[in-house]
Amino acid sequence: MKILKLDDSDLKTLLARWYETRDLFSPVEKNGMAGWKRIEPLEFVEPAKGVPKTSLKTFFFPQPETLLEYSARPGDEGAYVPRPVKEKARERIILGVRPCDARSVLLNSLPFADDPYFKAKKDTTLIVGFTCKQPCSTCFCSWAGGSPMDTEGMDIAMTRVEGGYLADILTKKGEGLVDHLLDNREASPEEKEQLKTLREQAQGGTGSEGGPAEILKKKNLMDLYNAPFWQGLADSCINCGACTFLCPTCYCFDIQDETIKGKGRRIRYWDSCMFPLFTQHASGHNPRSQKVQRVRNRFMHKLKYFPERFGPLSCVGCGRCIRECPVNIDIREVMRDLLSIP
Amino acid sequence: METLFSQATEAIKREARALLESGEVAAFLGFAKGSIPTVTRPFVARSPEETDKLIWNGLCVMNLANYLPGLLKSLEPARRPGEPPPEGPLPKVGVIATGCWSRNMVIQIQENQLIRERLVILGIDSPGMIDRRKLESLAGGKEIQAIEEAEKKVVISGKGFRLETARQEVLRDNCLTCTHPSPVILDKKIGPTMPERHVHEPFARIEEIERMDADSRWAWFQKEIECCIRCYACRNACPLCYCPTCFVDDSHPQWVGKSVDPVDTAIFHILRAYHCAGRCTDCGACESACPMGIKMRLFTRKLQKDCLELFASEPGLDINSPLPLTTYGPEDPERFIINGSKQQGTQGGK
Amino acid sequence: MDPAPEKDQKWEPKIIAFLCNWCSYAGADLAGVSRFQYPPNIRIIRVPCSGRVSANMILDALKAGADGILVSGCHPGDCHYISGNLYARRRFALLKNLLEFIGIEPERINFSWISASEGEQFAELVTKITTRIKTVGPTKRLVKKIG
Repeated sequence: MKILKLDDSDLKTLLARWYETRDLFSPVEKNGMAGWKRIEPLEFVEPAKGVPKTSLKTFFFPQPETLLEYSARPGDEGAYVPRPVKEKARERIILGVRPCDARSVLLNSLPFADDPYFKAKKDTTLIVGFTCKQPCSTCFCSWAGGSPMDTEGMDIAMTRVEGGYLADILTKKGEGLVDHLLDNREASPEEKEQLKTLREQAQGGTGSEGGPAEILKKKNLMDLYNAPFWQGLADSCINCGACTFLCPTCYCFDIQDETIKGKGRRIRYWDSCMFPLFTQHASGHNPRSQKVQRVRNRFMHKLKYFPERFGPLSCVGCGRCIRECPVNIDIREVMRDLLSIP
Repeated sequence: METLFSQATEAIKREARALLESGEVAAFLGFAKGSIPTVTRPFVARSPEETDKLIWNGLCVMNLANYLPGLLKSLEPARRPGEPPPEGPLPKVGVIATGCWSRNMVIQIQENQLIRERLVILGIDSPGMIDRRKLESLAGGKEIQAIEEAEKKVVISGKGFRLETARQEVLRDNCLTCTHPSPVILDKKIGPTMPERHVHEPFARIEEIERMDADSRWAWFQKEIECCIRCYACRNACPLCYCPTCFVDDSHPQWVGKSVDPVDTAIFHILRAYHCAGRCTDCGACESACPMGIKMRLFTRKLQKDCLELFASEPGLDINSPLPLTTYGPEDPERFIINGSKQQGTQGGK
Repeated sequence: MDPAPEKDQKWEPKIIAFLCNWCSYAGADLAGVSRFQYPPNIRIIRVPCSGRVSANMILDALKAGADGILVSGCHPGDCHYISGNLYARRRFALLKNLLEFIGIEPERINFSWISASEGEQFAELVTKITTRIKTVGPTKRLVKKIG
């Protein structure tokens, strides 16, 4: 695929063009806090640094997602018979996505590989990523298997350079977004070289082969499970769901039916392994009744069970959980502690 | 530089170490340094050596009373449900307490969640704690990499900036209106006694909201909770919330829907606040814990104001005076009760 | 809840009334046997004591679309359980204020004392609160909708 050199006015024109047939979303300051919002083309500003407070997963795994609908009026034809929801299939473009967030979509596609709802959302969504120049102190994407210059999961990857952006067109869908510019905006060989160098520099020291995922996969499960440091984490943890709900790769959910005034729907909504109800059995027994068990599960799932089943860590290193945990539980420390277990 | 905080940190370390060395307590609950400068970590030291990690500063905002019932229970020898506790005294815990935290401990004792004899309380007068969101907005989007704190000022710094501000400017809202900085129950005092505080208009913000019309109040409420993600950090940070099954987890009837529907979120916040009525000490842990920066303290603050005005009650100040909703008076205000015109006058009531 | 009224019908408020078994419910019964007229807008839920009514129930009724709430118990001093209504009085005072504070129209949330002998007063009370609630119109805040 091609690499284009776009200046700021090119980007403005593109956004206006995309806006004609698609919905645009980007991180915005909302209530003083950065979140994602539907925007007009002129509203777009490249986020200065870091990731917005909430993650990208709401677009693919909404809170809540209506799976089925039904009429709950006994007289109605087909009452109580669930039927699929008619979705409007307007394409969406998400702008200003950081490499970590883009990668989270790919990681979530692993457990959701056969999920029609996730897939439908993914098919109608294009990701225009903006690579990172300045990592935050809580960022650790390189460690989690990514890189600040990563393009995985993006359709177009924009990199800020002098005089505009280098736009790496990565997918067919991405190409469709800029087809009219393909021939007259191609980046010069020097510019392409520049991008290559930037990427190599960013990759420096990553070495995904020897990364935590591979090391932890080889470690004995029970040694990690019975490690002494879990109690210390549980001592601090208040068992809220802030980490799991802000995390781009936490994908656990529950399903229930809601019936109100003759209308019913089956919704899928976020659940969190931090909540005791998550594992509560109908019998009343709870296999994870203790806080320490729940805290351990969150990290073991991300760092051991997920890699064993799917390969990579279920973590992209965005640092949201580190920043927003009210009691400062730091997944990097947990990784270090796990890695140090012989 | 020797500051109020470094002195207190040393004193806490010393006392905690002595308590653990002598075996008087099985664990000491305090704070440790966090991995980022704006957050501290509630921490349990179980050996004298671990007390070296203890710290004390203005970012120690989580209410330690929240951890006590669970921590004490975890230290008891395991037993089956229904089995009586073992004979002899149960292990004790040492803990740091400021004014509001100690009041929460009083409430937990009154509500049979704690046994006073199992606590060794190191009382410390609260200098007012810092709101990390205020620091962050002061830094204007730049990342704070270090915080230096003195008695009257705070300095934040990071890549390419260094800002100094008066401590008062970055205190949490609840600390700005706090009138009880000194612990009400304690075994040993650490640090100096703070001068008594006089707050000019402790409920100014509440009164401002009260003056608005119903539509504007509703708009304000909706706006305030709009970005709630229902992570329940506010609930879990609260020392009053210890129900084995929270109302949000009830399924039959289901009081609150499970997702982020605006009505469900509103009902969650109303009921959460209401369950704290007459018990909230305005410790501000809910607001400090909220990842989204919601000011849910305003809801409990309103209830606090009403408890004071209607029942002249401030919870947790006196272990012998009952919490306002566990008692009643024949003369309790009832102007809100509607009566038919032909009805005989009710007994009592204002 | 009942199906939504036909469009051409005039809107009538639905009021959920939590009445204590020992006084207010008997008062409502007396209103009935004495043939006192009152608007048909209330749906009565009999509870053992006004002290049994929790904030959860009131909010649940509002969530389901109730236009108004009435909670009525024995007069202070007359509680079958000695003090249930006195505890309730404190709780309701705080709840009413809190709901007003967050923007619920004060007219919707009503508390009253009705004894078993006050059938006429009960009819009068229901007339009064129905009129009050009509002035604020159909409820919108805190009503959960799906689809």
